[in-house]
Amino acid sequence: MMDSINRRRFLSGTAGAAAAFTIVPGHVLAGAAGQRPSEKLNLAAIGVGGMGAYNISQCSTENFVALCDVDDAYAAKVFDKFPNARKYRDFRVMLDKEEKNIDAVLIATPDHTHYVIAMACIKRGKHVYCQKPLAHSIGEVRKLTEAARAAKVQTQMGNQGHSSDEIRMLWEWIADGAIGPVHEVYAWSDRPVGGDPWSDFPIMARPKETPEVPKTLDWDLWLGPVQYRPYHPIYCPMSWRGWWDFGTGALGDMGCHILDPAFWTLKLGYPTRVEATTTHYQPEVASETYPRAAIVRYEFPARGDMPPVKLTWSDGRLMPLRPRDLEPGRRLEGNGALLIGEKGTIMHGSHGAGGVRIIPEEKMKAYKRPERTLPRVRRGQAGHEQDWIRACKDGKSASSSFDYGGPLTEMVLLGVLAMRLKDTPLEWDPVNLKVTNVEEANKYINPPYRQGWTL
Amino acid sequence: MKEKKMTRRGLMSTAAGVAAFTIVPRHVLGGAGQTPPSEKLNIAGVGIGGQGGADLRALGSQNIVALCDVDWQHAAGTFKRYPQAKQYKNFREMLDKEDKNIEGVVVATPDHLHAIVSMAAIKRGKHVYCEKPLTHTVFEAKALAEAAREHKVATQMGNQGQAGEEVRLLCETIWDGAIGQVREVHVWTDRPLHGTNEWYWPQGVDRPKDTPPVPETLDWDLWLGPAPTRPYNPAYLPFIWRGWWDFGTGALGDIGCHSLDPVFRALKLGYPTSVEACCTLVNNETYPVASRVTYEFPARGDLAPVKLHWYDGGMKPPRPPELEDGRRWDTNGALYIGDKGKMLGGRLIPESRQKEYGKPPQKLERSPGHYQEWVNACKGGKPAGSNFPDHAGLLAQVVLLGNVALRPALKAEKFLGTKLLWDAKEFKFTNVPEANQYLTKEYREGWGL
Repeated sequence: MMDSINRRRFLSGTAGAAAAFTIVPGHVLAGAAGQRPSEKLNLAAIGVGGMGAYNISQCSTENFVALCDVDDAYAAKVFDKFPNARKYRDFRVMLDKEEKNIDAVLIATPDHTHYVIAMACIKRGKHVYCQKPLAHSIGEVRKLTEAARAAKVQTQMGNQGHSSDEIRMLWEWIADGAIGPVHEVYAWSDRPVGGDPWSDFPIMARPKETPEVPKTLDWDLWLGPVQYRPYHPIYCPMSWRGWWDFGTGALGDMGCHILDPAFWTLKLGYPTRVEATTTHYQPEVASETYPRAAIVRYEFPARGDMPPVKLTWSDGRLMPLRPRDLEPGRRLEGNGALLIGEKGTIMHGSHGAGGVRIIPEEKMKAYKRPERTLPRVRRGQAGHEQDWIRACKDGKSASSSFDYGGPLTEMVLLGVLAMRLKDTPLEWDPVNLKVTNVEEANKYINPPYRQGWTL
Repeated sequence: MKEKKMTRRGLMSTAAGVAAFTIVPRHVLGGAGQTPPSEKLNIAGVGIGGQGGADLRALGSQNIVALCDVDWQHAAGTFKRYPQAKQYKNFREMLDKEDKNIEGVVVATPDHLHAIVSMAAIKRGKHVYCEKPLTHTVFEAKALAEAAREHKVATQMGNQGQAGEEVRLLCETIWDGAIGQVREVHVWTDRPLHGTNEWYWPQGVDRPKDTPPVPETLDWDLWLGPAPTRPYNPAYLPFIWRGWWDFGTGALGDIGCHSLDPVFRALKLGYPTSVEACCTLVNNETYPVASRVTYEFPARGDLAPVKLHWYDGGMKPPRPPELEDGRRWDTNGALYIGDKGKMLGGRLIPESRQKEYGKPPQKLERSPGHYQEWVNACKGGKPAGSNFPDHAGLLAQVVLLGNVALRPALKAEKFLGTKLLWDAKEFKFTNVPEANQYLTKEYREGWGL
């Protein structure tokens, strides 16, 4: 009941002014009571070779009845661990055949197939855990968020930091006014390392060679909804993040972690304006892969008592200026964020506000911490998958359900979109999902799918 | 002659103070430079294949008596243009043999040789025109400025924009208070890339492994000069030496002496109190693909402290809302943010603001031209606008302090988020002793200032 009230509040927020919605943590609403007995869920997993393997291991309390991957070789290790689970290459075939056998699905494919898979699951009423970023385009994210809400399935985005104790602590400090009203946020990531196409994200033109597709890979299925191109090992299984067609770059990858604490605790909601600047690179490279480095500048309007916020994202090892409050001899991390308030500064690391501190340390030590008001997730960040399992069983939403993960990802992907039209400020209408001042930008909101992949 | 000395002394004392330079209108100095003497200057060129050739053309009204280049193929066109000039490969030999025949030297070698050649010329009492950036290291720029002052020679750095109208209008507009106190300046360039199309020169790359034979027309050992020995490779020359730590000064060194010059003049900047830089992955061979360098300058008299942000590799500051929709937001530029307005390059924005304001009261004398300034100075006229002791030495030092902050060793994890604090009096960074080694460099045996 509480949950549906929250949903309604949330809905009215998104439909109305961008600033109006509030994200209430699942646990405030869920409470501990009413856990279903220890019945096990029947799970399927799609995309099991990479991050999926970790997510699966975190759900070992449940039954895995089906596993799906387009790459037998990459999936082999996990496939072998579950001799009793049926194995599939095509998630559509799996969902058809296993429809009645599975309650919930873990999705950890590359970004470009999150949407088609998650949507197919939601339409069949399956609970969904999907890796971050929630999808590849803003339109996809919005549709997934709305579909999950309508289907009343339990969802969780894979930004595991959102289950951490520290992000809750940060919420409490901000609510306590620990650093006063916050006007500026700076966040940064050292990804991509840049330079060597094989080391991190590739920064290169589309390869011209067309090596044979390994027998263990269904290349057509790997491509999914994306326009056909010949197979090359530079795309999969590892380096898809750096390609516009498949990944979402450093911001899409790390933004859902590093911007999560500010987005949540400052209730940022939808930005009204975003502008990106990036390194230059040759057109045949720029049209294929993300830049070596980008600076993305967001503007968020006032939210209730909270003043407007300017948020600056830097990646590719670019960093904000050293904060005035940081004492000599102390350094910044390679990934992190700074929240600059009228009365002080908070610094934290990557996932879930890791290592969150008021700076300088002297001020941290003098700070009288407020009482806990937010319930913690069991086992914190390590309990992120289990929090979703719990949600599937007790019907009370998980810590980073799509109702939260969706808007977070939309914000992140708006910055990615701004990188396509570098050095052009974009005015954003979050209700209608439209860039109002640069029509050209709107073609990236809902890009077309390859024939046969439209849902 | 006496007049000239007094003028120099006057300028020197200003340079020693906080406001590092002053542009003194010609009428204050007297008309020494106004009547061109009939005698022509005898000039030698060192490094004549690239920009050096263009510099000599611009000095075409003078006598070009000797030419020196280590790469006779690259130099062939210039040699041909001045058939009467003596030809050399080794500048030291040229200076020895032509000592009595030359009055001024134009230095347009790669950056790593600027100071060596210029210093040798200055010590012989020759006037020097040296391409920007003045030198390869911070110490060299300081040393050249001091030597030029001591030997009382006429000098000019090759940042020719300083002689233009735009910088004068910018200074006069800002001094007129049109945008109030300026506390923040952003300067950016697309280099080392040209637009989105091609490299000017590569950065962010590794040392080539192949060792092709040295062309017969090239004296590779002389080209290396003071730099550590390494095998010849066409990856270094001509021109593309700019991206290599051992030879060039990267995008900041190349363009900074052009585009930071107006900022120094308009805001009367001296040494900064801090330098802070971040960049894409950088290695020990080449400069990074993109960087941002931030300098903090203290208050200067009535002038407010200034934060100066430099961006290269295609990064830009946020587009100012005052810039009208549809107006070009260029790949190279400078944005001055004042309490009462903004200027993009030499113009107030929006354009309506500029139209309303019109022209500032003229306070600065106009230039007879960048090269002519130097010729006049050589002949006893007033010092050129970008002479080493009063202006170029400081400008180059500050530009090169930014390159120190980009050094790979200072980008190691333990230095993330470090702001280097600069003590101009002690001439060192006070909080990161490791940084001070990069103010200078080791010279190969047989080479030195």
